[in-house]
Amino acid sequence: MSFKINKYPQSRALFERAEKVIPSGVYGHLGPAEGCMIPVSAYPLFCQKAKGSHFWDVDGNEFIDYMCAYGPNVLGYCDEDVDAAVAAQMKISNCTTSPPGLMVDLAELLVDTVASADWAFFAKNGGDTTTLAIMTARAATHRKKIIFINGFYHGVAPWTQKVDYPGVLEEDVANNLYIDWNDFDALEKVVAENEGEIAAYIATPYMHGNFIDNQLPAEGYWQKVRKLCTEKGIVLIVDDVRCGWRLDLKGSDHFYGFEADLICFCKALANGWSVSALCGKDSLKNVVSGITYTGSYWMSAVPFAAAIACINKMKALDAPALFRKRGTMLTDGLKAAAANNGFNLVVSGEPALFYLRLADDNSLMLHQQWIAECVKRGVFMTNHHNHFINAALSEEDVKKTIEIAEDAFKAVRKNNPVA
Amino acid sequence: MVDQKTLAYINMYAVLGTLENLCELVPEASALLAGKKPISIGFDVKGGPSATLTFKNGKCRMEQGVKSCDIKLPFGSCEKFNGLIDGTVTPIPSKGFTHIGFLLKEFTSLTDILTRYMRPAPEALEDKDFFIASTSLMFYTISVAISQIANNDKVGRFTADHMVDGDVAFSIKGGPSATIRVNNHRLVTIKCAPASPRAVMEFSSIELARDLFDGKVNAVASIGAGTIEMKGMISMLDNLNRLLDRVALYLA
Repeated sequence: MSFKINKYPQSRALFERAEKVIPSGVYGHLGPAEGCMIPVSAYPLFCQKAKGSHFWDVDGNEFIDYMCAYGPNVLGYCDEDVDAAVAAQMKISNCTTSPPGLMVDLAELLVDTVASADWAFFAKNGGDTTTLAIMTARAATHRKKIIFINGFYHGVAPWTQKVDYPGVLEEDVANNLYIDWNDFDALEKVVAENEGEIAAYIATPYMHGNFIDNQLPAEGYWQKVRKLCTEKGIVLIVDDVRCGWRLDLKGSDHFYGFEADLICFCKALANGWSVSALCGKDSLKNVVSGITYTGSYWMSAVPFAAAIACINKMKALDAPALFRKRGTMLTDGLKAAAANNGFNLVVSGEPALFYLRLADDNSLMLHQQWIAECVKRGVFMTNHHNHFINAALSEEDVKKTIEIAEDAFKAVRKNNPVA
Repeated sequence: MVDQKTLAYINMYAVLGTLENLCELVPEASALLAGKKPISIGFDVKGGPSATLTFKNGKCRMEQGVKSCDIKLPFGSCEKFNGLIDGTVTPIPSKGFTHIGFLLKEFTSLTDILTRYMRPAPEALEDKDFFIASTSLMFYTISVAISQIANNDKVGRFTADHMVDGDVAFSIKGGPSATIRVNNHRLVTIKCAPASPRAVMEFSSIELARDLFDGKVNAVASIGAGTIEMKGMISMLDNLNRLLDRVALYLA
């Protein structure tokens, strides 16, 4: 089967306008540079509308979306139940002088849902919560140093960046220590070398770095980390901004059989409405109370209403089970389509957040070609990042995706014949 | 902050090393060497780099070390050597007094020409040939400086520590090419295109390259505009960009 090849004249025209008034046209992960759109000409640059698991660009091209706005779209774009809650709340209040009662409702819902949560603190972006988590750990321990996993991403605040990033000072990252994922010996060593100085260990539930196969936790890794952190008085922070709600509604720490001291949520919390939450153990609640940390929109009612509706719907659907089923069906089909055309597609990470890599060259150039051919045919994926599934993704979507992927593989094979 | 040792390595291999390309690209430079007997100058920097420039048949070639040179210029420190490049230090040979004429005449003329091309007057760039040669020379200087920063500068070494092995093709479409080779977090620049790059960064035109070198346009914006092509192991290019960012610190 052959598919229409997308063209993007309106996207390009809009981008040319954007370049004049916005730094780099579209900055950040949704932009062509950081979004690794290779080649740029294969990708849409602006969205016109979205519904369910699909979006349409400004040229009218339709895409089955496997990035889900890089995570927030967990139930499907414009989900009726979430948006009904939003519409209802918009008639009542949003950003007000006194916070809405909904804030308490949402905190109670989180405490009742997330296994390791005794309280919830709300903000807007994932980075707001990772920063608060680090401040909390330092305030609680009166220590400076933080252990990171190489290849980490915990937001864009200076402490989350690296010394060679523009605008970052050596002093911003002077207390950052780096070890490799799943290397418990390295963790023990760095803890011993910095005895009494480490405030926190922060990591995602598993390693989902870019450009490399994602790695699940080794057997017993998290349990050993938990034990060591407890023994040494180190605050264990799980950055669940990306995985949160897709693996386990009780938290990804629960999914992997341990309890974090602090756990950060954002992305899937409210199906695209802007709210994030830091949840934590009772022992740290008073510490957080003493930290000066707030924002103009952090207690707005509408996103709280969206989050409550979203969590309740994810529970009703058993969304993590659905994601596992759909993700497995999809990735099995993609691997088969690759094999049919003589390619070796490696799938890593959890099925709900699968990472793909064509292993036929070590430069990722073939992989980039294949992803570009998929995008041109209406399946939006990226070549550098893990993907996301939402609950609106149907079996028909998956089947069509596999057909498009197969056609894309044929195009890549045609351009790269077997020698 | 500029590190004097890193600057010395850049001055040696990226700045003086560009004399190789100057003699290829600028007839006025190669003409200075025409009909002259081969001659070599060794630069020996205590606590820093050492290299020999050999001038032969109108061409120039740089090699590491000062084992066999006609004129030897010792420098007591990286700062002293950097002073030679910025014109505040006059070198005193320890060997080759009979060849001092070449040092004072031809070599000085060559470095003057290089300076004219590397720091051109705006009106000079209106000449197309000059523009192409000047931008190509800048390209080679920057390409080599990237590796020196990665190997010597504190922040550059941090960047190199995050780079995987392989060749990066760094080029201007229809113009000069270089290989930035990464091996065990050490970088070396080779002034020709790689056979099997693991990552590619290509500027679409020499005009774009010039604007990027002059800081008039931004690389991230150019990727979006499609005027910089990148592909392959993008993490290598991310890190290359961080090194490029530091080139300006040293060569501005």
